[in-house]
Amino acid sequence: MADIRLENLSKDFDGFLAVDDVNLTIRSGELFSFLGPSGCGKTTLLRMIAGFEIPRGGRIMIGDQDISELPPYKRPVNTIFQNYSLFPHMTVYDNVAFALRIRKSPKSQIRDQVRNMLALVKMGDQAQKYPAQISGGQKQRIAIARALINNPKVLLLDEPLAALDLKLRQHMLIELMNIHDAVGITFIYVTHDQGEAMSISDRVAVMENGRIVQHGPPDDIYERPASIFSAYFIGETNLITGEVMGIEDEYVQLRCPMGNGEFFEIDSTVHFAPTLGRQLTVSLRPEKIAISRSKPRAQEDFNILRGTIEDILYLGTHTQYIVKVGELRFRVFSQHKRVYFDEKALDWEEPVWLFWHDTDSWLIDEVPESGSPSLSHDVTNVYQRWVKRQQSNGI
Amino acid sequence: MESLRSRNLEAANLRRQNLASHILTAPALLWLLLFFLVPYLIVLIYSFLTPDIYDIRFIFSLEAYRQVSAGTYLKPFFLSFRLAVFTTLACLVLGFPVAYLIARARERVQNTLLVMIIIPFWTNLIIRIFSWRIFLASEGVLNDVLLRLHLICSPLEIMRTDFAVILVMVYVYLPYMILPLYSVLQKLDFTLLHAAMDLGANEVKAFFRITLPLAMEGIFAGSLLVFIPALGAYLIPQLVGNQQSLYVGQVITYKIKNIPRNWPMASALSFTLLLLVALLLFLMYLAWRRRVLTKRGEYE
Repeated sequence: MADIRLENLSKDFDGFLAVDDVNLTIRSGELFSFLGPSGCGKTTLLRMIAGFEIPRGGRIMIGDQDISELPPYKRPVNTIFQNYSLFPHMTVYDNVAFALRIRKSPKSQIRDQVRNMLALVKMGDQAQKYPAQISGGQKQRIAIARALINNPKVLLLDEPLAALDLKLRQHMLIELMNIHDAVGITFIYVTHDQGEAMSISDRVAVMENGRIVQHGPPDDIYERPASIFSAYFIGETNLITGEVMGIEDEYVQLRCPMGNGEFFEIDSTVHFAPTLGRQLTVSLRPEKIAISRSKPRAQEDFNILRGTIEDILYLGTHTQYIVKVGELRFRVFSQHKRVYFDEKALDWEEPVWLFWHDTDSWLIDEVPESGSPSLSHDVTNVYQRWVKRQQSNGI
Repeated sequence: MESLRSRNLEAANLRRQNLASHILTAPALLWLLLFFLVPYLIVLIYSFLTPDIYDIRFIFSLEAYRQVSAGTYLKPFFLSFRLAVFTTLACLVLGFPVAYLIARARERVQNTLLVMIIIPFWTNLIIRIFSWRIFLASEGVLNDVLLRLHLICSPLEIMRTDFAVILVMVYVYLPYMILPLYSVLQKLDFTLLHAAMDLGANEVKAFFRITLPLAMEGIFAGSLLVFIPALGAYLIPQLVGNQQSLYVGQVITYKIKNIPRNWPMASALSFTLLLLVALLLFLMYLAWRRRVLTKRGEYE
């Protein structure tokens, strides 16, 4: 068992830096994800580990072995390709047996191992079918069996669920975790879907423009984003910019412009040492904010704001409110429970109170550049408009 | 009642569709019947008749087939068969890399390259064959250049040899091999090669286990397109070959052209050639079916 170390790894295509000086250690047996928007370099990184791209600089180490220059067929690594790349002219059985036949394993051994592998992915009764005769989920299982039979030290998965529908995706995600537990090897998972990455991974690396901007356990990245990009790319968030007005132990008081010349104040805990007068950004997850028609009783460690409901979007598991505070718009998620603050449902244009605990606001030592996501340019899509019109017409 | 009615409607629909497809395919079927099947029947009938100096006598005779089975024409058949095999193999070996490179090129480059493959078709075949004669002749361009470069001391006698026949055949038929190969290779998903290499196959193994089997359809199609016309080749052996080694196509022509004419012999030779091709196709079909069947057997 051996860790994978990426050392100063970089790759360019015609001068475009796809992967930029990446340093990372992936621990043996870990389920590690690279998460980022398309073009962030995550797939290039995976292809370098697989051997389909040769790095421009840096090294890829598995244990003490430098594999950066080895051809793909000499690496102790196997890949699950995005559209599975099963061999169409071979049966399921032959696909899974492929690696063993290349290695010229004895026939009886091939038969036993293929059977075991097909049993592991629950495809034992489909051995004689051709890839064209099985479903997407089944192809996925065969791709996994075909890769694992090779006994790799590392399994690379390149957006493996992208081609499946939602229900199947959720099912396969659990299946993948089970398989990971069963075989105990390192899985490296590449995806642009933050939900997948969060639910499956031991650790996640968030990538932007060829660089790793943050890595750590999923809850760490969600609750404690290191940059505006991490905060915004993973989950939804409200970003509020303000100036440091006071510092008291681990608490900071921010003065935030509302965009209409007025200001409000936000208290937050802080994990770094800001200076007075510094511009910072607060990341506030929509589900951390409580919304109510009646004013909450004043509490020391709560931030309380007054705003007006601008949009309501019913989403089944929760409702999303867009609440206007000054010129700023807050996104608030509220679950539907009987035991809640308001007897009667909140309505459009209604004045409401927003409140959240000081420890739920997270400070980022960064200010949004113009054009990047912030509260003032928030989405209000056509659907929301349509819902609103329906409601105001009394339908 | 309802289901009965819908069934009637369905049947009526089906009848209408059938009628439409009959009307649409009728002209082509009629064409094939009149200009392919009927002439072949005439050839078949002629092969069982008796020759006359200029024409034919309607007296049943097996003389032509007796001569064929006695091996009188073994040499032309052997030469034609050898020519067809060599031409097909050479076209395959030379054509595959070309088709592969075109298939892997960028789309715009692909089109340019394909046009370049097709351009020779724009020139008349006879003119192209005569160009080869000028090129290969003992005082031709090739010998002239080689002599001037002092690579040879006396001119190479290439013209009027079997080698010249194969050379020109390969030149003429190469595009018929490249185009079907290109069309399968162009559809080939090249990430499959990555998958094979990922699973431990080096480039050579990946080629033989993935690329080649997946290109089989194109290899079959291209081989048939080259092999069958090569078997009946007449023009090229006539123009660049010699009179000591006559190919089947030439023998058939002489039987009709030279006096006394022998229509039954020409017909019997044509029909034998047809039977040979049919037999070959049947054997290929058997081989293919056996491969599929033994494959299934492995798991049962």
